[in-house]
Amino acid sequence: MKVLMFTWEFPPLISGGLGMACYGMVKALLAQGIKIDLVLPTKELVYFPLREESDVDTLPTVFFDPTLHTEYIQKRFTSLQERLEYIGITSRPESYFQLDEIKRHSFEVKREFIDTEITSIEEQELWNEVTTHLIGDEDLIRKVQEFTLRAERIAKTLQYDLIHAHDWLTYPSGMLARKISGKPLLVHIHATEFDRAGGPGDERVHKIEHAGMTYADKVIAVSKYTAQMIMSRYRIDTGKIRIVHNAFSLPERDLENPQRIFKGPVILFLGRITLQKGPDYFLDMAQRVLENHPEARFIMAGTGDMSRKMLRSSAAMKLKNRFLFTGFLNRHQVETVLQASDIYVLPSISEPFGISPLEAMAYGITSIISKQSGVAEVVHHAFKIDFWDIDLWVETISHLIENPEKCRKIGLEGMHEVQRIQWGEAAEKIRLLYSATLAEYIRQHQ
Amino acid sequence: MLNIVFYFQVHQPYRLRHFNVLDIGSNSQIFDEKLNAQVMRKVADKCYLPTNKLLLDLIKEQEGRFKISYAITGTAIEQFKLYSPETLDSFKALVDTGCVELIGETYFHSLAFLYDSNEFLDQVGMHRDLMQKEFGYYTETFRNTELIYQDRLSDIVYEIEGFKTILTEGVDRILQWRSPLYSYKNYSKSINLLLKYYQLADDIAFRFSNRDWPEYPLTVDKFVNWIDHLTLGEKDNRNQFLNLFMDYETFGEHQWASSGIFDFMRHFPSEVLKRDHLGFATPKEVAKYSNYQQESLSFPEPVSWADEERDLSAWLENDMQHNAIETLYELFGRIKQKGDPELLRIARMLSTSDHFYYMCAKYFQDGDVHKYFSPYDSPDQAYIYFINALAELEERLLR
Repeated sequence: MKVLMFTWEFPPLISGGLGMACYGMVKALLAQGIKIDLVLPTKELVYFPLREESDVDTLPTVFFDPTLHTEYIQKRFTSLQERLEYIGITSRPESYFQLDEIKRHSFEVKREFIDTEITSIEEQELWNEVTTHLIGDEDLIRKVQEFTLRAERIAKTLQYDLIHAHDWLTYPSGMLARKISGKPLLVHIHATEFDRAGGPGDERVHKIEHAGMTYADKVIAVSKYTAQMIMSRYRIDTGKIRIVHNAFSLPERDLENPQRIFKGPVILFLGRITLQKGPDYFLDMAQRVLENHPEARFIMAGTGDMSRKMLRSSAAMKLKNRFLFTGFLNRHQVETVLQASDIYVLPSISEPFGISPLEAMAYGITSIISKQSGVAEVVHHAFKIDFWDIDLWVETISHLIENPEKCRKIGLEGMHEVQRIQWGEAAEKIRLLYSATLAEYIRQHQ
Repeated sequence: MLNIVFYFQVHQPYRLRHFNVLDIGSNSQIFDEKLNAQVMRKVADKCYLPTNKLLLDLIKEQEGRFKISYAITGTAIEQFKLYSPETLDSFKALVDTGCVELIGETYFHSLAFLYDSNEFLDQVGMHRDLMQKEFGYYTETFRNTELIYQDRLSDIVYEIEGFKTILTEGVDRILQWRSPLYSYKNYSKSINLLLKYYQLADDIAFRFSNRDWPEYPLTVDKFVNWIDHLTLGEKDNRNQFLNLFMDYETFGEHQWASSGIFDFMRHFPSEVLKRDHLGFATPKEVAKYSNYQQESLSFPEPVSWADEERDLSAWLENDMQHNAIETLYELFGRIKQKGDPELLRIARMLSTSDHFYYMCAKYFQDGDVHKYFSPYDSPDQAYIYFINALAELEERLLR
């Protein structure tokens, strides 16, 4: 079985959880014999034919232009990084959140083609949703436009049985591929615009999300929480929604020799500093915990649109040198800061899944996670609190500080628990869903 | 007689490294040695060495009639020794002429006066000892960091033996109708005050190379003429003092050599001394020359020479600055209790006012000046590194 997969993030092209999830999922799918042609927002027009597990790290590459491909295979690269730079995966992709101003900009994915091939009014309406809403002058919208335009050539050239698209940025591409090839489309919801914006968000993105999910044969949600969101906010047919919880890949970690930074207890926030993740709740709980536990340190790790606001607020609250900011951290630095922490908190307002608590738990760190998250559905050895219930957050953190033995014990239990949450199981569910979708498709086309 | 009183502030801070959370506890360097060395060598080449040579020549030429004064901070002296010993030697040669007065202050150019009187007295004592040791000079005039002054300061300084005069800014809201050209007494009439004549001082320090300034270019003739005019108002033969206080780095660093600032200075003393009613003096001579009853001036609120506001807002305005400095002075107490000299030294290096100046987030014109002097991208960055350094200091304290 061969799958044409569109995603916006894949290591090393990564800005958040989406890339990590795709990596773990693809690797496990490859292990189960699924072949995947992966398409990413690369500078050059290429795709990545992934056939073996190890391919997720080496990313074998094919250029669509045969001349360029010949040039590429003749080139000698001294490192993987150099090769990837040649293809044009150098920097992190922009985070794909909140598009502000709507400016009219014509978007033409072969309008004529779509118009003539449309078979029903419903289909016509869905395409209208995409074509009238994928407009705007923002860099990101332009990139999605370009990505979508490329999809046509990709969809026509490659051979595949199924199409799998991750998050709205790739839905137009997935839809186009389905239209061209007639193969079944699965869209994967890692986050909706409601989660990202912590409110209504951008109308254009809603429409594209809605069109993608409606046009798809199957919709995969990363949690019950997300599935409910899809049903209630987007009115998607319940029959085609499937829940596949994310898993995560166990990091290589040195648990024997954790390098502490501080002598006192360390409470960590790790993620984008943006409304969705509840950084302001973290600040409030820090202020209140520090009143009774001045020996504690609160670390806010990451960057985001609310960084400056959080920094200035922490100063205004006179949190002294007890509330610290790391700025952007690379992979290695994330591991270092995790090793130095005792309590991990995820006070997200809305978190479709949330892989990073699992990672924290893998380091034996006691986690406190928002009830408004998908990850709360899969772990038991963690505290789960409504994001708005500051009193309870403060009480729980204080309790853990006052009972370090208990904190360690819960941390260890959590560590054992997450070791069992592996991608193999999640990939198995996806593989079965692929088979069922394909079987349905064949039945319908007999 | 009008006496021109030149006073130059000579200061270099220990700039912080880009000190991140993950550097805490690893015993790594807090201060950016490489950058500090680089800045010191650059400023020595562009300013200290050529200006010292010029002023030494002028003093010799004028045979005792040209006089100047300096406040050289402890952190500057230390960095001369580390990175530019010839600069320190050239200052010694200047002091040896007898035409140079050295002025006392806090060793670390700190804001300790506002937060911790004992620490303030310690740092003033350290600076006096340093002047004694390096130059064999006993300081008699005091100048608080960046001319920060208020009544309470005069009480504390008066208690320290030997200080007879304090320098500060000639702030309009304090002087009102009075002229900064006379010497004053503090509010309790116990100590002399000399007030900076900021219009003319800033003509040299800030406007000298500004082509948009209507008076550009500033020539020696023009400037001495202005000074001459200042004496016309005085009918009672009272001695006047024109206090030209400025950063020493004005010469060659803030105003580049190509602006003609060195030529200006080269010809300035001889032009002044052509006139019998003009001369030069140093601050400690003020008492001797004040041939009138000095009026007392009260400064209930702190003033300084910084920015348009001439108050503390360059260092202590926004939340970042307040949180940073309050956390620092809280640590001081605990460090002194523990009695660890190494940690005390780091805390003192962090007490240098520049660290708080870099966190200033005021906009418009003054914000630009702050930006020019800051080694960091933004006030927020400066704050983050400083707070991290304080976390490091506290971890070392707990060790």
